[in-house]
Amino acid sequence: MKHLKPLNAKADLLDAARTEAERGEVVAMQTVVGCSATTDPGWEVDAFGGIGGLCQPMEADLYGCADPCWWPAQVPDIMNTYPDWDKDAPSAAEDWRKLGAVFPKARE
Amino acid sequence: MGLSMLRLGQAVILTGLAFAAGATETGVLVRHNCGGCHTNPADPQGDLTRIEGQRKTPEGWEMTLRRMQMLHHVPFHDPGGTADADQVLARLIKHFSDTQGLAPAETAHYRYILERRLDTIEVPEDAEYAVMCARCHSAARVGLQRRNEDEWRHLVHFHLAQFPTTEYQAGGRDRDWLGTALGRIVQKLASEYPLRTPQWSDWQQAPKTSLAGRWRLAGRMPGKGDFEGVMSARPGDNDRYAVELDARWSDGSTVSGRGNAIVYTGFEWRANIEIEGVNYLQVLAASADGGTLGGRMFPADHVERGVDVAARREDGMPTLLAVQPSQLRRGETATLTLVGSALQGEPGLGPGIEVLERVFADPDRVVIRVRARDDAPVGARAVNLGAASRDAALTVYQGIDRLEVSPAYAVGRVGGREGSQPEVQARFDAIAWGHGPDGQPRTGDDLRIGPIAARWSVAPWDARAAADDDVRFAGTLDKDSGVFTPAEAGPNPLRRFQTNNAGNLKVIATVGEGEAAVSGEGHLLVTVQRWNNPPIR
Repeated sequence: MKHLKPLNAKADLLDAARTEAERGEVVAMQTVVGCSATTDPGWEVDAFGGIGGLCQPMEADLYGCADPCWWPAQVPDIMNTYPDWDKDAPSAAEDWRKLGAVFPKARE
Repeated sequence: MGLSMLRLGQAVILTGLAFAAGATETGVLVRHNCGGCHTNPADPQGDLTRIEGQRKTPEGWEMTLRRMQMLHHVPFHDPGGTADADQVLARLIKHFSDTQGLAPAETAHYRYILERRLDTIEVPEDAEYAVMCARCHSAARVGLQRRNEDEWRHLVHFHLAQFPTTEYQAGGRDRDWLGTALGRIVQKLASEYPLRTPQWSDWQQAPKTSLAGRWRLAGRMPGKGDFEGVMSARPGDNDRYAVELDARWSDGSTVSGRGNAIVYTGFEWRANIEIEGVNYLQVLAASADGGTLGGRMFPADHVERGVDVAARREDGMPTLLAVQPSQLRRGETATLTLVGSALQGEPGLGPGIEVLERVFADPDRVVIRVRARDDAPVGARAVNLGAASRDAALTVYQGIDRLEVSPAYAVGRVGGREGSQPEVQARFDAIAWGHGPDGQPRTGDDLRIGPIAARWSVAPWDARAAADDDVRFAGTLDKDSGVFTPAEAGPNPLRRFQTNNAGNLKVIATVGEGEAAVSGEGHLLVTVQRWNNPPIR
């Protein structure tokens, strides 16, 4: 890897990280409760406690997260649990307003 | 009487008239709804499988039962035909919480998640739990369950089947996740969070007290101020109460509301109170003697806008619950409100504090004008009012040496713009400190003065945030209250790569002017929405 040069800020961040396991455990040990501490790349927070390493706008890759169950505690997983979550929203970038919360609401 | 609904997370708990005459017995209801899958073929009349090996909070049972509904399409049907699905669900949550719940001591460490204190920084004591369990959800979600070893093992298998990424995400693929889970974590969980505990046995035997009565409340909401009120709880059937609340903020504004409460497991008070058209949830825990309640109250749709609540049930004894505000500077003349019940007699604030005037007095509240002399002893002190007394109710201070922004690290979320998720604010307090006799910050003799009014501002956290102009896009921090309201959700065409209105910000609180100014800093991440919002995150 020493002959490869990072080309953007995210690559810089990754380059600065040490081992993946070390990085993951450090972040998981101190996380705002309920936020994902999985850091490839992170949903709310990146490996360094910031947002610079996240995929944003998240709508550009939202279904790349939901389809393979990547952040199941934050983003409804279409793979197993909520297969119809995106049925009325074929394009996340265009239709994100149609994506609803999945935990049932009270009946008024 | 009609049927009214009480939200426990976002689900429905039946209150008021629970069931019409002839409603199905709970045991029959459980077997009818759960027995289809959970009957033991070797002993069809015996214990249901899986269920008997677990204990949880009301919110935990709600999540389990909702999962059964969503994934396995359990209809929650009343064979007697008098209750609808929501009513059956509500009754099952009540039943399981009462018979297979957690004792007060078993929930004490993790109240923050039940109270939706989502700015809590979790630092799991066990590093392996952190990376094996709490990468996706809170560690509290684990710590608020009790299972036998078989049930902890089943939970591991469920996770891999339902969420296979567990094994190949970062934190999973760098180890033998399944081998570790089955070979070590299950045994640790079964040892630390076992199904059978002395705490639960003792609590099951302990007498449970009705929580009916007139309650005196005091509390505080970051970004809003001190709070005090009176709440009446009129008993109904089956641990349910009709609730009325009348309260007052430190700015003098008043609020009132009505609603319903239910008590699970003998101490878990959950209420739904409508205040000015907004549904507030109360998540409070009762003390063993039923004399006090403590926890948090927050709008169901904005859990971040919460009031810390401490309540005491009136028993005719003069009681002082709080002094608001709870700090007084040497040389200052100020108005203090003494909050309590059956209040009478003369106020005594200790050496160096003179009571100038009694502005208002009734049994609930005494408002006084006071002056602290320049030589009033510095530190926390007891306040007396007649026979009532409260230790450390008021802190006298010389000056503010240090400001601490609380929370030190917070997360807000973009929202709105016709999306399903509202924005999630971040609400900050400026906590004032004195250096203490040694004149050094962050030593054992520092004096915590408490939350104090400050001027608020934001700045980029780092060069990246400055380059991306996060301050401009991420939202607005109210300069007086310390409340940050994030900007709208969705891609923003004005930003580089049309990125979201996320931001990495420094939050700055300041008191005083010029060379006398004292500032403190916190860290705010404004990040994206989440759509999976069960009561236990």
